[in-house]
Amino acid sequence: MTLNSKSLAVILFVVLFGGIALSAALGWWQTESSKVAATYTEGEFAGQANPADIRGSYTFGDVEKNFGIPAALLAQAFNVQTDDPSTFATKELETIHAESALEVGTASVRLFVAFYNGLPFDLSTDIYLPQSAADILHTRTLTPEQLAYLDTHIAPDPAAPAVDSAPITESTPEADSAERLVKGKTTFQEVLDWGVSQSVIEQILGAPMPNPLTTIKDFCTAQGLSFETVKAQLQAEVDKAK
Amino acid sequence: MKLFGKRLFRPHSIWIRKLVQWFFFLLIAFIAVNHTLVESGAGIPFLSSASLHALCPFGGVVTIYQFATVGTFVQKIHESSFVLMVIGFALAFLFGPVFCGWVCPLGTVQEWMAKLGKKLFKRRYNHFVPTRLDGVLRYARYLVLAWVVYVTAASGTLIFADYDPYFALFNFWTSEVAVGGLIILGTTLLLSLFVERPWCKYACPYGAVLGLTNLFRIFKIKRAASTCKADGACSILCPMNIPVDTQNTVRDPQCISCLECTSEAVCPVAKTVVFTAGAVK
Ligand code: SF4
Ligand code: SF4
Repeated sequence: MTLNSKSLAVILFVVLFGGIALSAALGWWQTESSKVAATYTEGEFAGQANPADIRGSYTFGDVEKNFGIPAALLAQAFNVQTDDPSTFATKELETIHAESALEVGTASVRLFVAFYNGLPFDLSTDIYLPQSAADILHTRTLTPEQLAYLDTHIAPDPAAPAVDSAPITESTPEADSAERLVKGKTTFQEVLDWGVSQSVIEQILGAPMPNPLTTIKDFCTAQGLSFETVKAQLQAEVDKAK
Repeated sequence: MKLFGKRLFRPHSIWIRKLVQWFFFLLIAFIAVNHTLVESGAGIPFLSSASLHALCPFGGVVTIYQFATVGTFVQKIHESSFVLMVIGFALAFLFGPVFCGWVCPLGTVQEWMAKLGKKLFKRRYNHFVPTRLDGVLRYARYLVLAWVVYVTAASGTLIFADYDPYFALFNFWTSEVAVGGLIILGTTLLLSLFVERPWCKYACPYGAVLGLTNLFRIFKIKRAASTCKADGACSILCPMNIPVDTQNTVRDPQCISCLECTSEAVCPVAKTVVFTAGAVK
């Protein structure tokens, strides 16, 4: 069979647009990400949407759909004045709070969502929330660790002059032994000292324990494990061992 | 084809191909502009406003690795890129890189620059690079391909977007475009005044992938040695400098299935250079 240019042009259009139409009919033609947050893969919260996966392109409406927190409440928490909070993209926060010395952005939304819903979240980096968000979170049940983190991570209101911004950057006092919290800097040795046996730890990791002086977070990152999940499970063991 | 008594296209050329190229160029340009408009809240309804990344079949190729190992797409790449990739491959299995010859807007603008180049240099156009050097340089696009696939897999982000002249072409008015892309686009357009489709020949990673299908495409460019006058017209005018007159079947990975060498266009003898799935004598 020999093709001339006109038949080739026709076939080209049929295959290209026919293929697109077919894929659209099958629901495969998506030119935007579906905005469904990835879920925790293991542990107590497996299967639940993970706030760490909230992206800058998510609107408050997308967050509402994924995490059940009303868009209007999010707008209130982050001082967003808009008629339709559900269309506000979280990445725009950075522009609104551009004046603020401490960055408030998508990461802040992740943190807020995690605290609000009582979901595990990595607190080893410093993420800041506006006072209004903290006020809302104070009405929820938070662990002492989360409360401590919250109180030291308030970004000053961009409108108001920064009166007491000095203590903000200071992090929580190092976990004194009474606190016994698994954090970003906690090593396996500390967990052992708190009375959790090596075999229990290995069970949680699903892998042999490395040199006990390794920080748990580094190990998880290197092994591709979710630190959040491991942390939550270890914490449960630490609490039991008290 | 004539308009007001003037010929619109060069005689002996595949004019319908030029129309198809125009169509896709305008389509993509409209979508890109609309994407910007929608982001600023003034989009034209009914017209797709998808991001260009979502409409790039090559995006599907670079995300294969991540999709197979982690099950997710590289940032900014979406299901639609996968669909286009599959369509692109299906077409290429049948016809070779028709995408390059008929659809790709970057190929199209290079051809528009070529028109100017042909006016300037007449027959010398597209015959400046010494054959030896040209032959070696044509392997470079595989290196680019390997590099792009590697950095995308290693980083999980679309690093190539910062260098992609195609992305730069349709985003030069936005802040999304990277300087690297603009420089490469500018260089490509400038070189197009001397060489036809320099980006395609020496650098395009997607062209490199599609070109491999020329080794086994169902419809092939074939030359009937029995009727061929051996005047070399096909070879001189092939945009990719393929010596069609010395081959019975074009298997060169650089052929873009533009059909310009066929008896429908430059070959003066009927049914001598054809695009066929059968045999020729
Ligand atoms: S080789 Fe690349 S730039 Fe050239 S036409 Fe093909 S896809 Fe487009
Ligand atoms: S061999 Fe023919 S179809 Fe292939 S690129 Fe050259 S002119 Fe076009």
